[in-house]
Amino acid sequence: MVNIGLTVNQKLFEISVDENLRLIDLLRDKLGFHGTKEGCGEGECGACTVIMDGETVNSCLVMAFQANGSNITTIEGMEKDGKLHPIQQAYIDAGAVQCGFCIPGMVLSTKALLDKNSHPNRDEIREGISGNLCRCTGYNKMLDATEMAIKYMEEEKE
Amino acid sequence: MKKIGKGIGVSFYGTGYGNGFPDVSRAIIRLLPEGKIGIYCGVTEVGQGAKTSMRQIAAEVLGLGVEDIELVHENTSLMPDSGTAAATRQTYNTGNAIKIACENMRTELFKKTKEALSLNSTAGLVLENGEIILGFFPQKRISFKELAEIYKGEKILEASGEFTAQTTQMDEETGQGAPYWPYTFNACAVEVEVDTNTGIVNLLRATFAQDAGRAVNPQLLEGQMDGGFAMGLGYALFEDLNIENGKMKNNKFSKYLIPTAMDMIDIKNIIVEDPESTAPYGAKGIGEPVMIPIAPAILNAIYDAIGVRIKELPVTPEKLMKAIRESA
Ligand code: FES
Ligand code: FES
Repeated sequence: MVNIGLTVNQKLFEISVDENLRLIDLLRDKLGFHGTKEGCGEGECGACTVIMDGETVNSCLVMAFQANGSNITTIEGMEKDGKLHPIQQAYIDAGAVQCGFCIPGMVLSTKALLDKNSHPNRDEIREGISGNLCRCTGYNKMLDATEMAIKYMEEEKE
Repeated sequence: MKKIGKGIGVSFYGTGYGNGFPDVSRAIIRLLPEGKIGIYCGVTEVGQGAKTSMRQIAAEVLGLGVEDIELVHENTSLMPDSGTAAATRQTYNTGNAIKIACENMRTELFKKTKEALSLNSTAGLVLENGEIILGFFPQKRISFKELAEIYKGEKILEASGEFTAQTTQMDEETGQGAPYWPYTFNACAVEVEVDTNTGIVNLLRATFAQDAGRAVNPQLLEGQMDGGFAMGLGYALFEDLNIENGKMKNNKFSKYLIPTAMDMIDIKNIIVEDPESTAPYGAKGIGEPVMIPIAPAILNAIYDAIGVRIKELPVTPEKLMKAIRESA
Protein backbone atom coordinates (compact mmCIF):
# COMPACT_ATOMS: atom_id res chain seq x y z
CA MET A 1 0.00 0.00 0.00
CA VAL A 2 1.09 3.57 -0.68
CA ASN A 3 -0.32 6.78 0.67
CA ILE A 4 -1.22 9.30 -1.98
CA GLY A 5 -2.93 12.65 -2.15
CA LEU A 6 -4.65 14.03 -5.20
CA THR A 7 -7.21 16.64 -6.15
CA VAL A 8 -10.26 15.41 -8.01
CA ASN A 9 -12.77 18.00 -9.20
CA GLN A 10 -11.31 20.66 -6.86
CA LYS A 11 -11.49 18.40 -3.82
CA LEU A 12 -8.46 16.95 -2.03
CA PHE A 13 -8.42 13.21 -1.34
CA GLU A 14 -5.85 11.45 0.81
CA ILE A 15 -5.99 7.72 0.55
CA SER A 16 -3.94 4.58 0.86
CA VAL A 17 -3.94 2.46 -2.31
CA ASP A 18 -2.55 -0.82 -3.61
CA GLU A 19 0.51 -0.46 -5.82
CA ASN A 20 -1.31 -2.23 -8.64
CA LEU A 21 -4.52 -0.22 -8.46
CA ARG A 22 -5.32 1.65 -11.67
CA LEU A 23 -6.45 5.27 -11.65
CA ILE A 24 -9.82 4.30 -13.18
CA ASP A 25 -10.50 1.91 -10.29
CA LEU A 26 -9.47 4.53 -7.77
CA LEU A 27 -11.86 7.01 -9.36
CA ARG A 28 -14.78 4.62 -9.78
CA ASP A 29 -14.53 2.15 -6.92
CA LYS A 30 -12.81 4.11 -4.16
CA LEU A 31 -13.91 7.68 -4.83
CA GLY A 32 -17.27 7.00 -6.47
CA PHE A 33 -16.82 8.93 -9.74
CA HIS A 34 -18.77 6.47 -11.88
CA GLY A 35 -18.99 8.86 -14.82
CA THR A 36 -15.59 7.62 -15.92
CA LYS A 37 -16.25 4.55 -18.09
CA GLU A 38 -14.14 1.51 -18.79
CA GLY A 39 -14.39 0.28 -22.36
CA CYS A 40 -11.36 -1.68 -23.50
CA GLY A 41 -9.08 -1.43 -20.46
CA GLU A 42 -6.04 -1.20 -22.72
CA GLY A 43 -5.70 2.36 -23.88
CA GLU A 44 -7.53 2.08 -27.21
CA CYS A 45 -11.04 3.46 -26.81
CA GLY A 46 -10.79 6.62 -24.70
CA ALA A 47 -13.97 5.91 -22.72
CA CYS A 48 -11.92 6.24 -19.51
CA THR A 49 -10.47 9.66 -20.43
CA VAL A 50 -9.92 12.12 -17.59
CA ILE A 51 -7.96 15.36 -17.51
CA MET A 52 -4.81 15.11 -15.39
CA ASP A 53 -2.80 18.31 -14.91
CA GLY A 54 -4.28 19.78 -18.07
CA GLU A 55 -3.65 16.76 -20.30
CA THR A 56 -6.08 13.99 -21.21
CA VAL A 57 -5.01 10.56 -20.04
CA ASN A 58 -6.53 7.10 -20.36
CA SER A 59 -7.22 6.38 -16.72
CA CYS A 60 -7.05 2.63 -17.43
CA LEU A 61 -3.36 3.01 -18.25
CA VAL A 62 -2.34 5.23 -15.33
CA MET A 63 -1.57 3.65 -11.98
CA ALA A 64 -3.26 5.26 -9.00
CA PHE A 65 0.08 6.02 -7.28
CA GLN A 66 1.22 7.87 -10.42
CA ALA A 67 -1.59 10.32 -9.81
CA ASN A 68 -0.05 11.34 -6.47
CA GLY A 69 -0.03 15.13 -6.24
CA SER A 70 -1.97 15.59 -9.45
CA ASN A 71 -5.04 17.59 -10.27
CA ILE A 72 -7.76 15.60 -12.00
CA THR A 73 -11.03 16.55 -13.66
CA THR A 74 -13.64 13.88 -14.33
CA ILE A 75 -17.01 14.40 -16.02
CA GLU A 76 -18.56 15.06 -12.59
CA GLY A 77 -16.30 18.11 -12.28
CA MET A 78 -17.64 19.79 -15.41
CA GLU A 79 -20.85 21.29 -14.08
CA LYS A 80 -20.72 24.40 -11.93
CA ASP A 81 -23.38 25.43 -9.40
CA GLY A 82 -25.82 22.85 -10.70
CA LYS A 83 -25.43 24.13 -14.25
CA LEU A 84 -24.00 22.02 -17.04
CA HIS A 85 -20.73 23.13 -18.61
CA PRO A 86 -21.31 24.82 -22.00
CA ILE A 87 -19.70 21.83 -23.72
CA GLN A 88 -22.16 19.45 -22.04
CA GLN A 89 -25.08 21.71 -22.94
CA ALA A 90 -23.86 21.92 -26.53
CA TYR A 91 -23.58 18.13 -26.78
CA ILE A 92 -27.24 17.91 -25.77
CA ASP A 93 -28.37 20.76 -28.01
CA ALA A 94 -26.53 19.42 -31.05
CA GLY A 95 -27.91 15.91 -30.59
CA ALA A 96 -24.37 14.55 -30.23
CA VAL A 97 -25.27 11.85 -27.72
CA GLN A 98 -26.65 8.46 -28.70
CA CYS A 99 -25.95 5.51 -26.38
CA GLY A 100 -23.78 7.81 -24.25
CA PHE A 101 -21.02 5.41 -23.34
CA CYS A 102 -18.23 7.39 -25.01
CA ILE A 103 -19.63 10.76 -23.99
CA PRO A 104 -17.88 11.45 -20.64
CA GLY A 105 -14.49 10.82 -22.27
CA MET A 106 -15.50 12.68 -25.40
CA VAL A 107 -16.63 15.76 -23.45
CA LEU A 108 -13.37 15.82 -21.47
CA SER A 109 -11.29 15.52 -24.65
CA THR A 110 -13.30 18.37 -26.12
CA LYS A 111 -12.62 20.44 -23.00
CA ALA A 112 -8.89 19.71 -23.10
CA LEU A 113 -8.85 20.69 -26.78
CA LEU A 114 -10.69 23.98 -26.21
CA ASP A 115 -8.53 24.82 -23.17
CA LYS A 116 -5.51 24.78 -25.50
CA ASN A 117 -7.08 26.04 -28.70
CA SER A 118 -10.19 28.14 -28.20
CA HIS A 119 -11.08 28.25 -31.92
CA PRO A 120 -10.18 24.95 -33.57
CA ASN A 121 -11.35 24.31 -37.13
CA ARG A 122 -13.24 21.12 -37.97
CA ASP A 123 -10.09 19.18 -38.82
CA GLU A 124 -8.49 20.20 -35.55
CA ILE A 125 -11.61 19.11 -33.66
CA ARG A 126 -11.50 15.75 -35.47
CA GLU A 127 -7.90 15.36 -34.37
CA GLY A 128 -8.67 16.48 -30.82
CA ILE A 129 -11.31 13.79 -30.28
CA SER A 130 -9.67 11.11 -32.42
CA GLY A 131 -8.45 9.23 -29.34
CA ASN A 132 -12.05 8.63 -28.31
CA LEU A 133 -13.94 5.94 -30.17
CA CYS A 134 -17.68 6.24 -30.71
CA ARG A 135 -19.69 3.44 -32.26
CA CYS A 136 -22.95 5.35 -32.57
CA THR A 137 -22.73 8.90 -33.80
CA GLY A 138 -20.26 9.05 -36.67
CA TYR A 139 -18.74 12.00 -34.75
CA ASN A 140 -20.14 14.78 -36.95
CA LYS A 141 -22.67 16.03 -34.42
CA MET A 142 -19.81 16.16 -31.91
CA LEU A 143 -18.03 18.56 -34.23
CA ASP A 144 -21.23 20.61 -34.42
CA ALA A 145 -21.48 20.48 -30.62
CA THR A 146 -17.92 21.72 -30.22
CA GLU A 147 -18.57 24.65 -32.53
CA MET A 148 -21.75 25.39 -30.59
CA ALA A 149 -19.84 25.21 -27.29
CA ILE A 150 -17.31 27.76 -28.55
CA LYS A 151 -20.22 30.17 -29.17
CA TYR A 152 -21.78 29.46 -25.76
CA MET A 153 -18.46 30.12 -24.03
CA GLU A 154 -18.00 33.39 -25.89
CA GLU A 155 -21.51 34.48 -24.92
CA GLU A 156 -20.76 33.61 -21.32
CA LYS A 157 -17.72 35.89 -21.34
CA GLU A 158 -19.70 38.88 -22.59
CA MET B 1 -0.65 7.68 -58.21
CA LYS B 2 -3.82 9.13 -56.73
CA LYS B 3 -7.02 8.41 -58.60
CA ILE B 4 -10.47 9.77 -57.96
CA GLY B 5 -13.73 7.88 -58.44
CA LYS B 6 -17.42 8.22 -57.71
CA GLY B 7 -19.90 5.54 -56.73
CA ILE B 8 -23.46 5.07 -55.57
CA GLY B 9 -25.26 2.53 -53.45
CA VAL B 10 -29.00 2.12 -53.01
CA SER B 11 -31.01 -0.14 -50.77
CA PHE B 12 -34.44 -1.01 -49.50
CA TYR B 13 -35.12 -2.62 -46.18
CA GLY B 14 -38.12 -4.36 -44.65
CA THR B 15 -39.15 -3.24 -41.16
CA GLY B 16 -39.74 -5.66 -38.30
CA TYR B 17 -39.49 -9.41 -37.75
CA GLY B 18 -41.31 -10.15 -40.95
CA ASN B 19 -42.43 -13.31 -42.72
CA GLY B 20 -45.73 -13.57 -40.86
CA PHE B 21 -44.08 -13.77 -37.45
CA PRO B 22 -46.31 -12.16 -34.78
CA ASP B 23 -44.65 -8.79 -34.28
CA VAL B 24 -46.50 -7.10 -31.42
CA SER B 25 -46.00 -3.92 -29.41
CA ARG B 26 -48.11 -2.81 -26.47
CA ALA B 27 -48.43 0.31 -24.34
CA ILE B 28 -50.43 1.56 -21.37
CA ILE B 29 -51.13 5.25 -20.88
CA ARG B 30 -51.97 6.69 -17.44
CA LEU B 31 -53.03 10.08 -16.20
CA LEU B 32 -50.47 10.94 -13.53
CA PRO B 33 -50.70 13.40 -10.61
CA GLU B 34 -50.33 17.04 -11.68
CA GLY B 35 -51.96 16.13 -15.00
CA LYS B 36 -48.91 14.60 -16.58
CA ILE B 37 -49.21 11.61 -18.89
CA GLY B 38 -47.27 8.41 -18.30
CA ILE B 39 -46.40 5.95 -21.07
CA TYR B 40 -45.80 2.47 -19.68
CA CYS B 41 -44.17 0.56 -22.46
CA GLY B 42 -41.39 -1.98 -22.90
CA VAL B 43 -39.58 0.09 -25.53
CA THR B 44 -35.83 0.07 -24.90
CA GLU B 45 -33.55 3.04 -25.38
CA VAL B 46 -30.25 1.95 -26.87
CA GLY B 47 -29.18 5.34 -28.08
CA GLN B 48 -31.52 5.46 -31.06
CA GLY B 49 -33.72 8.09 -29.45
CA ALA B 50 -36.78 6.05 -28.42
CA LYS B 51 -37.03 8.04 -25.20
CA THR B 52 -37.51 11.22 -27.19
CA SER B 53 -39.49 10.10 -30.22
CA MET B 54 -42.01 7.93 -28.34
CA ARG B 55 -42.83 10.88 -26.08
CA GLN B 56 -43.14 13.12 -29.11
CA ILE B 57 -45.73 10.78 -30.65
CA ALA B 58 -47.76 10.73 -27.41
CA ALA B 59 -47.51 14.51 -27.05
CA GLU B 60 -48.83 14.94 -30.58
CA VAL B 61 -51.95 12.81 -29.95
CA LEU B 62 -52.75 14.40 -26.59
CA GLY B 63 -51.97 18.01 -27.43
CA LEU B 64 -49.26 18.27 -24.77
CA GLY B 65 -45.64 19.33 -24.66
CA VAL B 66 -42.99 16.58 -24.60
CA GLU B 67 -42.05 17.74 -21.09
CA ASP B 68 -45.52 16.70 -19.87
CA ILE B 69 -45.01 13.11 -20.96
CA GLU B 70 -43.15 10.60 -18.82
CA LEU B 71 -41.89 7.39 -20.31
CA VAL B 72 -41.68 4.50 -17.87
CA HIS B 73 -39.80 1.70 -19.61
CA GLU B 74 -37.08 -0.93 -19.41
CA ASN B 75 -38.62 -2.63 -16.37
CA THR B 76 -40.64 -5.73 -17.21
CA SER B 77 -42.52 -5.69 -13.87
CA LEU B 78 -44.12 -2.32 -14.61
CA MET B 79 -45.17 -2.47 -18.25
CA PRO B 80 -46.31 -4.63 -21.14
CA ASP B 81 -43.89 -6.11 -23.66
CA SER B 82 -43.07 -4.14 -26.77
CA GLY B 83 -40.73 -6.56 -28.45
CA THR B 84 -37.06 -6.01 -29.03
CA ALA B 85 -35.26 -2.81 -29.94
CA ALA B 86 -34.18 -4.57 -33.10
CA ALA B 87 -35.22 -5.02 -36.73
CA THR B 88 -35.73 -1.25 -37.06
CA ARG B 89 -39.18 -1.81 -35.54
CA GLN B 90 -39.60 0.52 -32.56
CA THR B 91 -40.61 3.73 -34.33
CA TYR B 92 -43.08 1.91 -36.54
CA ASN B 93 -44.42 -0.86 -34.28
CA THR B 94 -44.17 0.65 -30.82
CA GLY B 95 -44.84 4.14 -32.16
CA ASN B 96 -48.10 2.74 -33.53
CA ALA B 97 -48.95 1.01 -30.22
CA ILE B 98 -48.33 4.24 -28.28
CA LYS B 99 -50.37 6.27 -30.76
CA ILE B 100 -53.28 3.81 -30.52
CA ALA B 101 -53.06 3.74 -26.70
CA CYS B 102 -53.04 7.55 -26.59
CA GLU B 103 -56.05 7.70 -28.89
CA ASN B 104 -57.87 5.32 -26.54
CA MET B 105 -56.76 7.54 -23.67
CA ARG B 106 -58.20 10.55 -25.47
CA THR B 107 -61.57 8.75 -25.74
CA GLU B 108 -61.34 7.99 -22.01
CA LEU B 109 -60.49 11.61 -21.17
CA PHE B 110 -63.40 12.85 -23.28
CA LYS B 111 -65.82 10.48 -21.48
CA LYS B 112 -64.67 11.69 -18.09
CA THR B 113 -64.86 15.29 -19.28
CA LYS B 114 -68.46 14.73 -20.34
CA GLU B 115 -69.25 13.53 -16.81
CA ALA B 116 -67.27 16.23 -15.02
CA LEU B 117 -68.77 19.07 -17.07
CA SER B 118 -72.26 17.49 -17.30
CA LEU B 119 -72.24 17.55 -21.10
CA ASN B 120 -74.66 15.64 -23.34
CA SER B 121 -71.93 13.97 -25.35
CA THR B 122 -68.25 14.06 -26.18
CA ALA B 123 -68.86 15.69 -29.57
CA GLY B 124 -66.91 18.88 -30.18
CA LEU B 125 -64.30 18.25 -27.49
CA VAL B 126 -60.71 19.13 -28.38
CA LEU B 127 -57.35 18.79 -26.65
CA GLU B 128 -55.18 21.85 -26.26
CA ASN B 129 -52.19 22.57 -24.04
CA GLY B 130 -53.20 20.22 -21.24
CA GLU B 131 -56.89 21.12 -21.32
CA ILE B 132 -59.98 19.49 -22.73
CA ILE B 133 -62.13 22.16 -24.26
CA LEU B 134 -65.54 22.26 -25.91
CA GLY B 135 -64.34 23.77 -29.18
CA PHE B 136 -67.41 25.87 -29.98
CA PHE B 137 -68.06 27.00 -26.41
CA PRO B 138 -64.62 27.25 -24.82
CA GLN B 139 -66.00 28.42 -21.46
CA LYS B 140 -66.62 24.70 -20.92
CA ARG B 141 -63.19 23.33 -20.18
CA ILE B 142 -61.28 21.15 -17.76
CA SER B 143 -57.55 20.64 -17.39
CA PHE B 144 -55.65 17.34 -17.23
CA LYS B 145 -54.57 18.50 -13.78
CA GLU B 146 -58.17 18.87 -12.56
CA LEU B 147 -59.08 15.46 -13.99
CA ALA B 148 -56.04 13.98 -12.25
CA GLU B 149 -57.38 15.40 -8.97
CA ILE B 150 -60.65 13.50 -9.47
CA TYR B 151 -59.08 10.30 -10.78
CA LYS B 152 -56.33 9.40 -8.37
CA GLY B 153 -55.45 6.45 -6.16
CA GLU B 154 -57.75 3.51 -6.90
CA LYS B 155 -59.65 5.35 -9.61
CA ILE B 156 -56.62 5.96 -11.83
CA LEU B 157 -57.44 6.75 -15.44
CA GLU B 158 -55.72 4.56 -17.99
CA ALA B 159 -56.00 3.12 -21.47
CA SER B 160 -54.02 0.60 -23.40
CA GLY B 161 -53.12 -0.01 -27.02
CA GLU B 162 -51.60 -2.73 -29.10
CA PHE B 163 -50.23 -2.94 -32.61
CA THR B 164 -49.39 -6.05 -34.61
CA ALA B 165 -47.53 -5.59 -37.85
CA GLN B 166 -49.09 -7.05 -40.99
CA THR B 167 -46.80 -9.43 -42.85
CA THR B 168 -47.44 -12.75 -44.56
CA GLN B 169 -45.28 -15.82 -44.75
CA MET B 170 -43.42 -16.42 -47.99
CA ASP B 171 -44.45 -19.45 -50.01
CA GLU B 172 -41.68 -22.01 -49.55
CA GLU B 173 -41.95 -23.19 -53.15
CA THR B 174 -42.25 -19.94 -55.03
CA GLY B 175 -40.75 -17.44 -52.59
CA GLN B 176 -43.78 -15.24 -53.14
CA GLY B 177 -45.52 -13.31 -50.38
CA ALA B 178 -45.47 -10.01 -48.50
CA PRO B 179 -42.81 -10.84 -45.91
CA TYR B 180 -42.32 -7.27 -44.72
CA TRP B 181 -44.20 -4.06 -44.36
CA PRO B 182 -43.29 -1.24 -44.59
CA TYR B 183 -40.07 -0.88 -46.56
CA THR B 184 -37.56 1.94 -46.18
CA PHE B 185 -35.41 3.22 -49.03
CA ASN B 186 -32.10 5.06 -49.25
CA ALA B 187 -29.31 6.10 -51.57
CA CYS B 188 -25.73 7.13 -50.97
CA ALA B 189 -23.15 8.70 -53.26
CA VAL B 190 -19.46 9.02 -52.41
CA GLU B 191 -16.29 10.33 -53.98
CA VAL B 192 -13.04 8.60 -53.01
CA GLU B 193 -9.37 9.03 -53.69
CA VAL B 194 -7.40 5.80 -54.15
CA ASP B 195 -3.63 5.86 -53.78
CA THR B 196 -2.40 3.13 -56.14
CA ASN B 197 1.06 3.14 -54.51
CA THR B 198 -0.15 2.51 -50.97
CA GLY B 199 -3.64 1.02 -51.42
CA ILE B 200 -5.12 3.61 -49.10
CA VAL B 201 -8.67 4.77 -49.83
CA ASN B 202 -9.68 8.25 -48.69
CA LEU B 203 -13.22 9.56 -48.63
CA LEU B 204 -13.57 13.00 -50.17
CA ARG B 205 -17.29 13.71 -50.31
CA ALA B 206 -20.57 11.99 -49.50
CA THR B 207 -24.27 12.61 -49.92
CA PHE B 208 -26.77 10.36 -48.22
CA ALA B 209 -30.54 10.36 -48.73
CA GLN B 210 -32.77 8.40 -46.38
CA ASP B 211 -36.52 7.86 -46.61
CA ALA B 212 -38.06 8.08 -43.14
CA GLY B 213 -41.74 8.25 -44.05
CA ARG B 214 -41.95 11.19 -41.71
CA ALA B 215 -39.11 12.53 -39.58
CA VAL B 216 -40.35 12.49 -35.97
CA ASN B 217 -37.10 14.12 -34.90
CA PRO B 218 -34.87 15.29 -37.77
CA GLN B 219 -31.85 15.92 -35.53
CA LEU B 220 -31.88 12.36 -34.15
CA LEU B 221 -32.43 11.03 -37.64
CA GLU B 222 -29.36 12.84 -38.99
CA GLY B 223 -27.38 11.48 -36.06
CA GLN B 224 -28.38 7.94 -37.00
CA MET B 225 -27.51 8.61 -40.63
CA ASP B 226 -24.03 9.83 -39.62
CA GLY B 227 -23.62 6.81 -37.36
CA GLY B 228 -24.77 4.36 -40.02
CA PHE B 229 -22.43 5.97 -42.51
CA ALA B 230 -19.49 5.60 -40.12
CA MET B 231 -20.35 1.94 -39.51
CA GLY B 232 -20.65 1.31 -43.24
CA LEU B 233 -17.33 3.04 -43.77
CA GLY B 234 -15.68 0.85 -41.13
CA TYR B 235 -17.29 -2.25 -42.64
CA ALA B 236 -15.99 -1.34 -46.08
CA LEU B 237 -12.44 -0.29 -45.21
CA PHE B 238 -11.28 -1.38 -41.76
CA GLU B 239 -13.34 -3.78 -39.71
CA ASP B 240 -12.25 -7.40 -39.76
CA LEU B 241 -12.98 -9.97 -37.05
CA ASN B 242 -10.37 -12.24 -38.63
CA ILE B 243 -11.94 -15.53 -37.62
CA GLU B 244 -9.65 -18.55 -37.62
CA ASN B 245 -10.92 -21.98 -36.58
CA GLY B 246 -13.95 -20.37 -35.03
CA LYS B 247 -11.87 -17.95 -32.96
CA MET B 248 -11.99 -14.21 -33.33
CA LYS B 249 -8.38 -13.10 -33.71
CA ASN B 250 -9.04 -9.37 -33.87
CA ASN B 251 -10.68 -9.28 -30.47
CA LYS B 252 -9.39 -5.87 -29.39
CA PHE B 253 -9.55 -2.33 -30.69
CA SER B 254 -5.83 -2.32 -31.49
CA LYS B 255 -6.59 -4.94 -34.16
CA TYR B 256 -10.29 -4.49 -34.87
CA LEU B 257 -10.20 -0.97 -36.25
CA ILE B 258 -13.32 1.17 -36.24
CA PRO B 259 -13.44 4.67 -37.72
CA THR B 260 -12.19 7.55 -35.58
CA ALA B 261 -13.32 11.15 -35.99
CA MET B 262 -10.40 11.61 -38.42
CA ASP B 263 -11.66 8.83 -40.71
CA MET B 264 -15.10 10.43 -41.00
CA ILE B 265 -16.00 13.31 -43.25
CA ASP B 266 -18.86 15.78 -43.23
CA ILE B 267 -21.80 14.23 -45.01
CA LYS B 268 -24.60 15.96 -46.84
CA ASN B 269 -27.64 14.25 -45.32
CA ILE B 270 -31.00 14.46 -47.05
CA ILE B 271 -34.13 13.30 -45.24
CA VAL B 272 -36.84 12.17 -47.65
CA GLU B 273 -40.36 12.37 -46.25
CA ASP B 274 -43.08 10.31 -47.89
CA PRO B 275 -45.54 9.41 -45.12
CA GLU B 276 -46.42 5.73 -44.80
CA SER B 277 -50.17 5.28 -44.36
CA THR B 278 -49.94 2.47 -41.77
CA ALA B 279 -47.26 4.23 -39.68
CA PRO B 280 -47.61 6.58 -36.69
CA TYR B 281 -47.88 9.99 -38.38
CA GLY B 282 -46.24 8.29 -41.36
CA ALA B 283 -42.94 7.56 -39.57
CA LYS B 284 -40.78 4.53 -40.29
CA GLY B 285 -37.61 3.39 -38.54
CA ILE B 286 -34.17 3.86 -40.07
CA GLY B 287 -31.88 2.18 -37.52
CA GLU B 288 -30.42 -0.57 -39.69
CA PRO B 289 -31.08 0.68 -43.22
CA VAL B 290 -28.68 3.60 -42.74
CA MET B 291 -25.73 1.21 -42.86
CA ILE B 292 -26.62 -0.74 -45.95
CA PRO B 293 -25.81 1.39 -49.03
CA ILE B 294 -22.51 2.78 -47.73
CA ALA B 295 -20.10 -0.08 -48.46
CA PRO B 296 -21.51 -0.68 -51.98
CA ALA B 297 -21.15 3.04 -52.75
CA ILE B 298 -17.51 3.00 -51.59
CA LEU B 299 -16.69 -0.16 -53.56
CA ASN B 300 -18.32 1.27 -56.68
CA ALA B 301 -16.27 4.44 -56.26
CA ILE B 302 -13.07 2.40 -55.96
CA TYR B 303 -14.02 0.60 -59.18
CA ASP B 304 -14.70 3.92 -60.87
CA ALA B 305 -11.29 5.21 -59.76
CA ILE B 306 -9.06 2.29 -60.71
CA GLY B 307 -11.19 -0.22 -62.62
CA VAL B 308 -10.73 -2.97 -60.04
CA ARG B 309 -13.72 -4.86 -58.60
CA ILE B 310 -13.31 -5.73 -54.94
CA LYS B 311 -15.34 -8.72 -53.75
CA GLU B 312 -14.16 -9.13 -50.19
CA LEU B 313 -14.39 -6.76 -47.25
CA PRO B 314 -12.74 -4.90 -45.71
CA VAL B 315 -10.72 -3.26 -48.48
CA THR B 316 -7.46 -3.02 -46.53
CA PRO B 317 -4.44 -1.46 -48.28
CA GLU B 318 -2.82 -4.90 -48.59
CA LYS B 319 -5.91 -6.42 -50.22
CA LEU B 320 -6.29 -3.49 -52.55
CA MET B 321 -2.61 -3.63 -53.63
CA LYS B 322 -2.98 -7.36 -54.28
CA ALA B 323 -6.13 -6.80 -56.33
CA ILE B 324 -4.40 -4.06 -58.33
CA ARG B 325 -1.41 -6.35 -59.05
CA GLU B 326 -3.66 -9.24 -60.06
CA SER B 327 -5.73 -7.11 -62.40
CA ALA B 328 -2.66 -5.71 -64.19
S1 FES C 1 -10.91 1.84 -21.14
FE1 FES C 1 -9.16 3.06 -21.14
S2 FES C 1 -8.80 3.44 -23.22
FE2 FES C 1 -10.44 2.00 -23.25
S1 FES D 1 -22.72 7.63 -28.28
FE1 FES D 1 -22.58 5.46 -28.24
S2 FES D 1 -20.43 5.13 -28.28
FE2 FES D 1 -20.61 7.24 -28.58
